[in-house]
Amino acid sequence: MNKLKLIVAREYMSMVKSKSFVLTTLLMPLLILVCGGVPALIGYLNDAGSDVETVAVIDETGKYAQAIHDTDLYRFVALRGDTATNAREFYDKSGGDITAVVVIPQTVDSIPVVNVYSESTINANLKETINTALSDTITRAHVASYGIDGLQQIIDNSRVKVDVRSVKWSSDGESETSTEMAMVLGMMLSLFTYMFVLMNGAMIMNGVVEEKTNRIVEVIVSSCKPFQLMMGKIVGIGLVGLTQLAVWTVLLMVMGSIMGVVFGVDPSATAMTGNQAAQMAAGVDDDVMMEVMKSIYSINYIPIICCFVLYFIGGYVLYAALFAAFGSAVDQASDAGQFTTPVIFVMIIALYAGIACVGNPNGPMAVACSMIPFTAPVVMMVRLPFEVAWWEILISLVLLYASAAGIVWIASRIYRTGILLYGKKHTIKDVIKWIKG
Amino acid sequence: MNFIEIKDVVKRYSGHTALDGVTISVPKGCIYGLLGPNGAGKTSLIRIINRITRQDSGEVLLDGRPIVDDDVTRIGYLPEERGLYKKMKVLDQIVYLARLKGMPKSIAVAEARSWLKRFDLEQWADKKLEALSKGMQQKVQFIATVIHRPQLLIFDEPFSGFDPVNAEQLKQEILALRDGGATILFSTHNMESVEAVCEQITLINQSRVVLQGSVDEIRHAYKKNIIAVSLEGGQALPANDDLYAILPAKSDNKRETLIKLNSGVGVRSAVSWLNDNCNLTGFHEVLPSMHEIFIETVNLTKQQPQ
Repeated sequence: MNKLKLIVAREYMSMVKSKSFVLTTLLMPLLILVCGGVPALIGYLNDAGSDVETVAVIDETGKYAQAIHDTDLYRFVALRGDTATNAREFYDKSGGDITAVVVIPQTVDSIPVVNVYSESTINANLKETINTALSDTITRAHVASYGIDGLQQIIDNSRVKVDVRSVKWSSDGESETSTEMAMVLGMMLSLFTYMFVLMNGAMIMNGVVEEKTNRIVEVIVSSCKPFQLMMGKIVGIGLVGLTQLAVWTVLLMVMGSIMGVVFGVDPSATAMTGNQAAQMAAGVDDDVMMEVMKSIYSINYIPIICCFVLYFIGGYVLYAALFAAFGSAVDQASDAGQFTTPVIFVMIIALYAGIACVGNPNGPMAVACSMIPFTAPVVMMVRLPFEVAWWEILISLVLLYASAAGIVWIASRIYRTGILLYGKKHTIKDVIKWIKG
Repeated sequence: MNFIEIKDVVKRYSGHTALDGVTISVPKGCIYGLLGPNGAGKTSLIRIINRITRQDSGEVLLDGRPIVDDDVTRIGYLPEERGLYKKMKVLDQIVYLARLKGMPKSIAVAEARSWLKRFDLEQWADKKLEALSKGMQQKVQFIATVIHRPQLLIFDEPFSGFDPVNAEQLKQEILALRDGGATILFSTHNMESVEAVCEQITLINQSRVVLQGSVDEIRHAYKKNIIAVSLEGGQALPANDDLYAILPAKSDNKRETLIKLNSGVGVRSAVSWLNDNCNLTGFHEVLPSMHEIFIETVNLTKQQPQ
């Protein structure tokens, strides 16, 4: 036990102290921030860098000019008494102080067309501003022109937007849930497990190959059991992965809030894609926001997190032991393809099954894949937010841990033989012989 | 008192037998040579003693009782294929290996420092191993092997990779460890070092013991009645077919002539005849080197397979 602790500590320290670990740990959040933050940053710089431009408004109707309000980017100046005919003259006279001239024609009530004159192409933002302001005002003017009392009120009141909510019957009465949030959470947990297993599995395999090519393995196994060395590696590198995740989480949160303070960007928006960030920035309806918050609270987290931890550990050990065994069977990592390819294939199947299960989390494929130990950690993560029966989870967990124990046993038999055999390429047939022997 | 006893050990791998009824007794405080050509089964035997693998049958006794896993703390093993962590610092590495052998951390650190000092490596203690020269790495590996004061030391080709000066230092360290009470099992192909340090040997060939005993006895047993004779003033040796045959001169020693006595001829009669017929200035019996015995024995067993 003491030796195992020593080995775990060495694995952990040597990894955590290595340059490549420090670099990836620090650079990854930066990369994520760059990918997510750049669109928001560009948008910010775009707005912040430009001066307020002046736009002249020639309102032939004399009614609508004041409907166009100034924004952060544009100042609108109404020119009373002028007509469209002298717009050009006026523009030239301003000597470049005016970006554009908006002409609201007399006929706008019947033919809703407004011209914006300029020497350069009109920016979409300006068009949008004018469009929004005039459409609303002219619509209201039309409504008012019918001369019916309270018509505007009636129209406003009768505007309906149907809100679809999903309500779940449970023992403590009805509670609202949100399938979208559950889906997002499930997919995130699933992807996370997948990435973690693949990245750390590769690290374990390389570590085993390194010890083998270094020949230090012979010195180590003359001091401890090969099983201890293998488990030490699996546990140590697992802890390294968890450390990395913890650092990433903290760094992302810190960087996100710094971004928020510096650029006035909502930190939750930086992690999203530019498109989403733009939508967020544009101001999501308060109703929708409330809805999202409500559904975030409505998910029952404690069982999900407990299950996640259990599946995560079981899945990690299952695959980690396999990768350790593969590393022991080859002389260099590049030879491991014949062993790793089938495993990566299985993992990809698991991921796709997980994605497919989002659409039908209680369908036959989802149920089957959440029972098979090799796919369960990924697929069950997707199903979990949709309330899986406790006995299903229990059976799946028992199967997972039983196979993890079995795989560790098999892997340790491959490992103890493989690490001491050099210079020959071993086939799967050889490896099966080692398991028996 | 035998410190390690290997009794009738058999080890089979799929397809071949690595050890076939090997029996070896190593007395306490002895430097014992384990010889044999490549693939004879030496490494298999060493791995069994180290508890890395298990014998299929037979017994290994350490200090009079069957060896158990915990006994590895009493063994130090220097494998032929040297290996340490390249990216780990020298001191950390030695301390780690010492702690795996059950040494408490503080003692391991103090011991490691004093060993590094002894080998003039103190200033490298906090450098990564890959920064050291090959010779220095070998020294680090040696320190890692002996630091936990093992009672049994197993050295597989300890001198390979050392220059003559360092090899001599290493030899002195090994002798000092023996004088300190350690039993040393010494596996090598370098027969000169066998003659220099080993008291007893076992020669394994094709999975079996083919020669065993003290180095001195073996060399006498294999003697070929060859005498080196030196005559005054480089005088040519007269032939005498009744007593001896003159062997071709060795290029490295022109002063001595080697003669092989005919069977049944005693050293005394040959020497007294030579003394009467030429100006004899010196003579001594030539014992075969371990090198010659090794080659002869191995070739013999090759010609007569089990």
